[in-house]
Amino acid sequence: MSAAAPLPEDGPGWYLYGVAAAEEAPTARLESATAVDPQHPVALVVEGTLAGVTSRVSLEEFDEAALPQRLGDAAWVEQKVRAHEQVLEGVLEAASVVPCRFCTVYRTEAELRSFLAERNEELTRALARVAGRVELGVKAFVDRDRFAAGNNAVRELAERVSQAEGGRAYLESRRLEQLIGQELARFGAEVASALDERLRAAAEDGVLVGLQRPEVSGREEEMVFNGAYLVSEKPRFEQELATLAADFRGNGVELELTGPWPPYNFVPAKLGEP
Amino acid sequence: MSPPEQHALQQQVTLLELVDRVLNKGVVLSGDIVLSVADVDLVYVGLRVLLSSVASIEGERRAPELGSALP
Repeated sequence: MSAAAPLPEDGPGWYLYGVAAAEEAPTARLESATAVDPQHPVALVVEGTLAGVTSRVSLEEFDEAALPQRLGDAAWVEQKVRAHEQVLEGVLEAASVVPCRFCTVYRTEAELRSFLAERNEELTRALARVAGRVELGVKAFVDRDRFAAGNNAVRELAERVSQAEGGRAYLESRRLEQLIGQELARFGAEVASALDERLRAAAEDGVLVGLQRPEVSGREEEMVFNGAYLVSEKPRFEQELATLAADFRGNGVELELTGPWPPYNFVPAKLGEP
Repeated sequence: MSPPEQHALQQQVTLLELVDRVLNKGVVLSGDIVLSVADVDLVYVGLRVLLSSVASIEGERRAPELGSALP
């Protein structure tokens, strides 16, 4: 291990964005990227076969005691999260990368280097899994009103609701809302399982991600499917997606593609404790 | 919604998509400073405040029926 002399505790720390293979990692592209602390440049710390993508950060700013307050500050979070992602996207253009979780900070270069050296084997394995592959996100949305209009059970009940009066009309309309919710959930589950099966076949791996509410997805329609896929042949995956979009459009289902992302969903959550 | 408002909303949405990945996925290392689950919750609380101010641009929205990524 080629450990540098440890910095004093109050010197800047090392923010780690992700880890790449030393022989692949770009340096030129990184110099123009904006770091989480824009005062410092993004740089590689090469330790053996691995390169940590890092930049210096104020340990006062990222101090564990101060962090809860910073994390409640949406503007602070937005700037840091976007910088974290943009740096990784820059690396991704030239190399495979194991993305780190937001706010992974080492106090000294020596600690960072010793981590890279000790975890070389596990990190190399994680890199091999994502090498030459990207993460793509696929979501499916259903327009609730259109779905309700096309569903027989819903249409029948809606007919009765329109003829009901007074208190019964209220109860029936509550039942109608419930029925739409149930039918939509059933339909959504069917769509999700069919999509996942076919997308997995065009990818190396896939995971289902939590569904988002409309205020998060930014769409009026109900999200019925949210998947992430590890893809090596992007054109083939996109072709399959286009076919699926055409197949499902008739049922009022719309698909949305995001990415390529650094493979956040396809790296181990924990490398294990030292 | 006017185009600038639409744009602002789209920006926030992209941010949330990003936050979901950057805060909940990715490898957790034995750094000297790492986020705890409680820390991550704080981010969502902070963002929710931001989000509600953006979502209000759109006026009333239907209550969610399906699952959600937000706690």
